[in-house]
Parts: sequence; C-alpha cells; structure tokens
Amino acid sequence: MNGYRFDRLKLLVVDDNVHMRKLVVTILQAFGAVQVAEADSGERAWTLLREHNPDVLVLDWMMEGMSGLDLVRKIRTSDQTPNPFVPVIMLTGHTHIDHVRQARDAGVNEFLAKPVSVKAILSRLVSVIEHPRPFVRTKSYFGPCRRRRGNLEYRGPERRAAAEATALE
Amino acid sequence: MAREQPIELFMPPNMLKAKVGGTISGGLDTAAIARAEAAVEVLKSDFAGWVASDVDRLAAARDRFAARKDRANGDALLRASHDIKGQAATFGYPLVARVAASLCKLIEAMKMPASIPLPLVDAHVAAIRIIFREKIRDASDRMALELADELEARVTEMAFQSA
Repeated sequence: MNGYRFDRLKLLVVDDNVHMRKLVVTILQAFGAVQVAEADSGERAWTLLREHNPDVLVLDWMMEGMSGLDLVRKIRTSDQTPNPFVPVIMLTGHTHIDHVRQARDAGVNEFLAKPVSVKAILSRLVSVIEHPRPFVRTKSYFGPCRRRRGNLEYRGPERRAAAEATALE
Repeated sequence: MAREQPIELFMPPNMLKAKVGGTISGGLDTAAIARAEAAVEVLKSDFAGWVASDVDRLAAARDRFAARKDRANGDALLRASHDIKGQAATFGYPLVARVAASLCKLIEAMKMPASIPLPLVDAHVAAIRIIFREKIRDASDRMALELADELEARVTEMAFQSA
C-alpha cells in the first residue's frame, strides 16, 4: 500500500469502555489519523455525528442506553442523519454467527470480533475504503448490500424480507 | 414464501478512496502496522490496571445483582462480563476472557434474571479474580483451564435445563 492519508479522514470511535476506546484511538492515530473523535454512548455518538459528520465509525455493540445496533439503524434510516452511507465497523465481543447476521441486518459494513489486533483494524479500514458495498433499499431495510458481491442488476424476490422484519422488531 | 418485490441497489460515490488516496500494492501497509504495534506496546504497561478496573466493575455489578435480581441489574452484570469477555484477551488475559464468556452465556441462557443462579455467577467472578490475581496470561495454564472447563460444563448444563 502506498501511503493512505488517514490524516484526511474524520473518524468517530464509540465505546462505553474507556480502555477499549483508548486502545482503538491509539491504533488509529498510529496509522496517521489526527481527526479522531470519541463517544462513550450511542446518544453522544449521535450528537457528534450530526456535529462533525465523520467519514468512518468504529462502534461497540453493547452499550447502556442506545446500543451500537440501535445507532446504526438510526444512522441508516433517520431523516436527521448527516450521512446514511457512512461506513460502520462494528467492534464487538459477540462472535456467534447470529450476531454477525444481526449486525449485517442493522446496516453494519464490517464486523470486527474482539480481541482487537492492529492488523484486523487496518484490514477493516482498507475494506471500507477499497471495497465499499453497494447500498440496498427495500421496504424494510436500507444499508450496505448484505451479499459480499452485490449484483447491481438484481430485481428479484426479496428473500430476506421475513428476516428483516424480525430483526427490526 | 418469498414475496416478489423489486429492490433498489446502487453504489454511492467512493468518497473515502478519494480522500485517503494511495494504492494497494500487495497487502497491508507494513509500516503503518509496525507503528501501531509499537504504540500498543507502549500501552501494555497499563493493561493490567485496565483489566483490574474491569474486574472490579464486574464485582460491583455482581453485588448489585445479588441485592436485587431485576432486569436492569441483570443487564449491567451482562455488560460488565461482556466487556471482560471482549477485552481481557486483547489485554493479555485470554483465560479471564474465556471465563467471562462462560458467564455471559449463563446470563443470556436464563430467560428471567431471577432464574440466574447466584452461586454459579459467584464461581465465575471468583475464577476471574483468581486467574487475574495469579497473573495467568498463558492460555494453556492447567489450573485455569480446569476451572474454565468446569464452569463451562456447569453453564452448559444450566442452559440445557432452562431451554
């Protein structure tokens, strides 16, 4: 890779645990990021999103009050969102496949299971930069295409409708 | 039965790529990785203190839950154990993380907070305290592995009974 200018990106790290936040922010700054905002709750993150309109979110799942999943759904669907397309990397201790599906169905771009490693964080950042997913709008979902390789011509059956309805309940 | 309903697929402009520039030439940026790993190395002297505060928070959540087994205290106990599950391995205590994962499984398996067995919660909290106090960072430590195996077996049994 030939010199990503991470200093040009605005990043928002959302985690209610101060230690994990410090670790992630330290790693991002070592990559060259200088515009790194922090939020300790989903509610605070929503305020910062509207004030600063970050380019990428690194978001914890389990937080008191507004969870990471709640925040992603709000980002994707609220008419007050500053950017419904903002890439979200979900950092979580959840590792079961059902959790990955839930994150995907909420509109998360990349899933990053703890324990955290430098390489894993960089690879997810590279993924959202180099391989952005197409977006999908259905009656019950708006967010990144949940197929890894989206077919932009697809206009067939909405096979995930039932699962989406369940996830949004 | 699938419904026939058109979906809209579109590709937003790649603003990120335009902002960061650069190109991929055979893998990840090794210089960036080296810088970040060096920065994490500097932080490592703080890791034990960070895990200690997470363990204290878990113990406090356990005390509140013991005093009142309601949904709010059950959720707080789950969040505290989930934090350790996710973070202890990152901070060098993989078996602390494993026992915390077992505690998460126990809490999540019980449909009602009142049905979460406090003695088994306490056994997990005590195991986490012991493994941390003894500074067991080796994922193959025999004593800690036996503790983790036993707790996981008890949780599996409880989860099966409550299913």
